[in-house]
Amino acid sequence: MSGCPGSRMMAFEKSDAPEGAVGSVPSQLRQWPIQLHLVSPAAPYFQGADVVLAADCVPFAMGDFHSTYLKGKGLAIACPKLDGGQEVYLEKIRGLFEDAKINTLTVVIMQVPCCRGLVGLALQALKESSRKVPVKAVIVSLQGEVLQEEWATEPAA
Amino acid sequence: MEKYLRMPIKEIIGKYPPVGTLLEEYQIGCVPCSVGTCLLADIVEIHNLSPEDEGALMAGISGIVYPGQAVALPAPRKRSPEMPRKISYSPPMKALVEEHRHIKRFLAVLPAVLDRFDARSEADRALVRDGLDFIRSYADRFHHAKEEDILFACFDPGLDILKAMREDHERGRAHVRAAGEALARCDGEGVTANLHGYAGVLAEHIRKEDEILYPWMDRNLSMRRVGELFARFLAVDERFAEDRKKYESFVGRLEDAYAEPISEVRR
Repeated sequence: MSGCPGSRMMAFEKSDAPEGAVGSVPSQLRQWPIQLHLVSPAAPYFQGADVVLAADCVPFAMGDFHSTYLKGKGLAIACPKLDGGQEVYLEKIRGLFEDAKINTLTVVIMQVPCCRGLVGLALQALKESSRKVPVKAVIVSLQGEVLQEEWATEPAA
Repeated sequence: MEKYLRMPIKEIIGKYPPVGTLLEEYQIGCVPCSVGTCLLADIVEIHNLSPEDEGALMAGISGIVYPGQAVALPAPRKRSPEMPRKISYSPPMKALVEEHRHIKRFLAVLPAVLDRFDARSEADRALVRDGLDFIRSYADRFHHAKEEDILFACFDPGLDILKAMREDHERGRAHVRAAGEALARCDGEGVTANLHGYAGVLAEHIRKEDEILYPWMDRNLSMRRVGELFARFLAVDERFAEDRKKYESFVGRLEDAYAEPISEVRR
């Protein structure tokens, strides 16, 4: 059980307990594309919106991601560990603050340490942005529970 | 028990004074409140007690109200992970708390100013005039206007907690009006009595907002509302930017001139 917690192999025992929602659950996704390299801050669905920036693994870990975080919001997804071109990400997020004039940003990440980079990226973009908005950081456990929800503050100069 | 959950707290404390003492044990300061129209159920919710404390408080109240009787108690509310006990203010609330910090700095130095106040001295009267200007412009027109015109408007105006906060604002304004009138007729005692009165009202008011009201509001505001509040507060800040600097540096000058600085409220 050593090594990087982000890639350590684990299996989660699941009981045959009821799954909760019965029947098909409607998607709350309101846009395409969603990958941070592909989205444009100029897209109409980002203008003045509340936006969620989710780490790639989050929607798979959280059973209720759509209803809890995605409903009514714009979305971008990224992996701060594996994705290249993160300087482009920085500019994109800054574009969301400055050009799309988003209302708020909620950064939802996994509890693994490598995921913290996504919050760091968002806060760096906020620091470099001429326009400020509230940013919230949400940390999700490997089994999809919300471990922490905190208002984030930009890094000191 | 349901009957008491829907009853204004002042009535309950009036009928059963030990309930007030019990509330104090849970840092719920309803006894000195001048309004007291909040319902017990709302007070329990607003203070966000842990399920254990909430259960123990309700059992304690039930024991006072129905001594020796077995009464069904409401199940404690479940607190989800997004409702932490540690206060983490949203950015707009954080801005209001920061303004409170400057007002508290002023309130901390005020007794020293009043101790040395001589109503016959033009210099002392000018200083108190500047202090009244700080209260009217910074604390009231800038800060309280943000609360009353923008923040409180996000909630049901009939909420008792908001009525109590507005009443505190009005009591503060009445003290300031009276202090201004006393100053105009060089009535030193009138000035000091009313400014001490103002400081008492505001210090308690700020404590209630920082520790109870703002965290409760944060728990009930959607992300959309938080973003809108933040933007509207920023717009007010921009309009008031120059005056804000002037008034915050006035407090600094006052601290330099008077009193030993109050370390816990000073930057």
